[in-house]
Amino acid sequence: MSLLALSNITIRYGRLTAVRNVAFNLIEGEILFITGPNGAGKSSLLRAIAGVTPPSSGRIDFGGQDITGRTPEDIARMGVSMVPEGREVFGSLTIQENLMVGTGMHAREGNWRSRAAAELEAVYETFPILKERRHSQAGLLSGGQQQMLVIGRALMTNPRLIAIDEPSLGLAPNITDQVYERLIALRRHRALTLLIVEQSSTRAQMVGGRMILMRGGEVLLDGDARAMGQSEAMQAAYFGYGDH
Amino acid sequence: MTDPNKPASVARRTISTPLILTAILIALALIALASGSRPFNQTVIDIFLRVILVVGLYIFIGNSGVMSFGHIGFTCLGGYAAAWLTMPPMMKQTLLPGLPNWLMQLQLPYWAGALIAALWAALWAAVFGKILLRLSGIAASIATFAMLAMINTIYSNWESVTAATSSVVGIPIVRTIWPYLIAAILSVFIAWAHAISRAGLALRAARDEPTAAAASGVDITKERLIAFVISGAVMGMGGALFAHSIGVVTPDTFYLTLTFTSLSMLVVGGIGSLSGAVLGVVILSSLIQALRWLEAGVTVGSTTFGIPNGLQEITLGIVMIVILAFRPSGIMANSELIWPRARPEKPDEMSGTTPTQQGVTK
Amino acid sequence: MQTLFDALSLGSLYALGALGIALIFGVMRLVNFAHGDVISFSVFALLWPSTDAVALVFAGDLPWFLLIPFVLLMGAGLSVLCELIIFRRFRGANPATMMIASFALGFVIRYFLLMLFSSRPKSISLLPALSQPVEILGARIPLLQVITIVATIAILFALTAFLKRTRFGLEMRAAAENFTMARMLGVRANRVIMGAFALSGALAAAIGLILASQTGTADIQMGGAVMLMAFIATVIGGLGSLPGAVLAGFLLGAASVVMQTLLPIDARPFRDAFVYGAVILVLIFRPQGLIAAPGTKERV
Repeated sequence: MSLLALSNITIRYGRLTAVRNVAFNLIEGEILFITGPNGAGKSSLLRAIAGVTPPSSGRIDFGGQDITGRTPEDIARMGVSMVPEGREVFGSLTIQENLMVGTGMHAREGNWRSRAAAELEAVYETFPILKERRHSQAGLLSGGQQQMLVIGRALMTNPRLIAIDEPSLGLAPNITDQVYERLIALRRHRALTLLIVEQSSTRAQMVGGRMILMRGGEVLLDGDARAMGQSEAMQAAYFGYGDH
Repeated sequence: MTDPNKPASVARRTISTPLILTAILIALALIALASGSRPFNQTVIDIFLRVILVVGLYIFIGNSGVMSFGHIGFTCLGGYAAAWLTMPPMMKQTLLPGLPNWLMQLQLPYWAGALIAALWAALWAAVFGKILLRLSGIAASIATFAMLAMINTIYSNWESVTAATSSVVGIPIVRTIWPYLIAAILSVFIAWAHAISRAGLALRAARDEPTAAAASGVDITKERLIAFVISGAVMGMGGALFAHSIGVVTPDTFYLTLTFTSLSMLVVGGIGSLSGAVLGVVILSSLIQALRWLEAGVTVGSTTFGIPNGLQEITLGIVMIVILAFRPSGIMANSELIWPRARPEKPDEMSGTTPTQQGVTK
Repeated sequence: MQTLFDALSLGSLYALGALGIALIFGVMRLVNFAHGDVISFSVFALLWPSTDAVALVFAGDLPWFLLIPFVLLMGAGLSVLCELIIFRRFRGANPATMMIASFALGFVIRYFLLMLFSSRPKSISLLPALSQPVEILGARIPLLQVITIVATIAILFALTAFLKRTRFGLEMRAAAENFTMARMLGVRANRVIMGAFALSGALAAAIGLILASQTGTADIQMGGAVMLMAFIATVIGGLGSLPGAVLAGFLLGAASVVMQTLLPIDARPFRDAFVYGAVILVLIFRPQGLIAAPGTKERV
């Protein structure tokens, strides 16, 4: 059954159309890369899924429910966890506080405190560096550590889908490797569904999984990342934009 | 294809806006004339004065996008300058004994006084602008407010030249409507000329796309300073005429209440629109006037209906909130009144922004 | 010694006011010009409507342990009501529009009070026991001043504890720093904003209470002056930064009092001009405020 279904999504800002008639389904447990050059509409698409900027037309379903036009907090509470571009840690909060922000959504459930504590331990186990510095301000962390923090923060809400916008942005390649290693391991442990936006398709081809290639607000290709790698359409899509 | 940035062609395409606004102002003057009623005449004079002030605000705030709480300070400077320049020397000797001798002896006609008052305000706008305009955003707004408060404190306490908080009376009163009309039209044309000048265009470009404008060599601080000085001059002229319309000035005439009512008119009309500035004044002033009449009581047959005191302000506040709730960018938003025939291809040439540019956040 | 206490108690008022403004600014980027009128309202809530110069006391005779919660509740209630009826409709509007809307709202509250109570200041005696002086280190200090300072410190500690130790406080701090991100983590926008309004209203009421007991009058204008200074304190403290607001509030209070004693006699009437001049200087050297709010800091 598809966890996330987008149909005919169009997103306009004034007279500019950022995303045009995009449709795809995401199966539970799947890993999907959305790639494409700058301005392809990838981030707009993520923001629409998160409810931050609702689509101008079209419909988004999550877990069998229509979530088009719902507020970001409602969508988050349904199990969509967003890791936006530029990481967006709460710089003045400590690392532990950052991680705890999202656990409030389960406060109605009886045992949320102990569950949150267990979740916290699990995140610390995945990212030991966060535990080591848990009482320091998140703004003081390095870029790679912040990336781990926001992924950890997304995990804390116990989501069904994690959507990540450009996890490799501004990170050194070996740090990016680490981040991805953790992501893949996490996905295996928790049966997470992952939606990852990256500008370059190289990462998708390394990791494998499904890939959607966007350009100018439209979906150009949709298929297996590795198979797509060498295709001519792929080269054409990036032609003139420079590959990163 | 002519170059769209050539001033002459921009002027031709946008001239309809100031012309329409002028027509509205003249129409008001004619109604006042036709009615022949003294109080109504005074009301229309008040409207013209507010048009001057709000258009003055628009020149800086509308084009730069920086909210200023300080401009009424320039109106204060202008109002007192008019008092210094046009009061009879006898009056000055008793009320303002600290004035220098040459100023004490001077008694200019009101129009010359207004002109000098405008220059005086512009001078101070240049001084303050030089210091303040390196700031932007909310810090700039607060700094302009601090400027207003400084001016107010000084004028409220400098006994010998401003009579402190007591009223300065004896300023020649000008009762005919024409000087105010002419000054209001003049401010509209000044605002228009600035808006389509290279400085005005650059300033709006910087307002909408700061990074891009800076990259293409726009000196934001300089363009802001130009707008600040021009708007300071208009505010100063407005202050002088304000003084002549009632014959009295006190520092608190030119303080928070006037600041907020003028700002409200600008925001309700549409902060980035010259037409909005004028319409905001006309609409809110008419509303205030209508409420005042109601407050005084309307006689129908033998009974007089009136609304309790205070309800006027309450209604005004509520109407403003409702207008803003339905039109958050003001009545005119960012567009201008234009002659239908002259509608340019690029829609908002005077207000700069196209909706596309505004909507995109990154 | 007296100077120190003067500075601290004036600073307390500004700090509490600045906190109230900063709390709301933090979560919704609204510069709330109605804040001063909430201050006045909470004091007038103690009186029966009348236009006489002597106040007809309504709730003002309550014993202090009921009086204080009553006033705080009135402030918080009015503030929340403003949010529900007015500000909720202005989510996402540009700051200038919200500012003018809040100004219009303050206008409505002010004239509503004026209609009920007239513009004449009324004398009321709240908690009269507090006007007696006490002796501290050889100086005679009005007890009220001491209580003002102690109460402010207590409020600051309580607020800090609330923000640091409770889930709601954590959500509020997160929302103040990055509202959208907090929502994407399931933090309910409306609840956080309402909480901020309630706290801010209660703080306004606390100021009203202090002012009314200090001056012995209830005046429709009483909130305005404090609000302007508080507003300035919020900005030079770093908009949205709560510690900054408090620090700047105390600094402004200190600057006013110190200038009053240090300036030559001739220049004293112009004290406020010097204070505002100092404000401009601070802004020019620290446009982000003394303590830059994290939300406005550049990312690493």
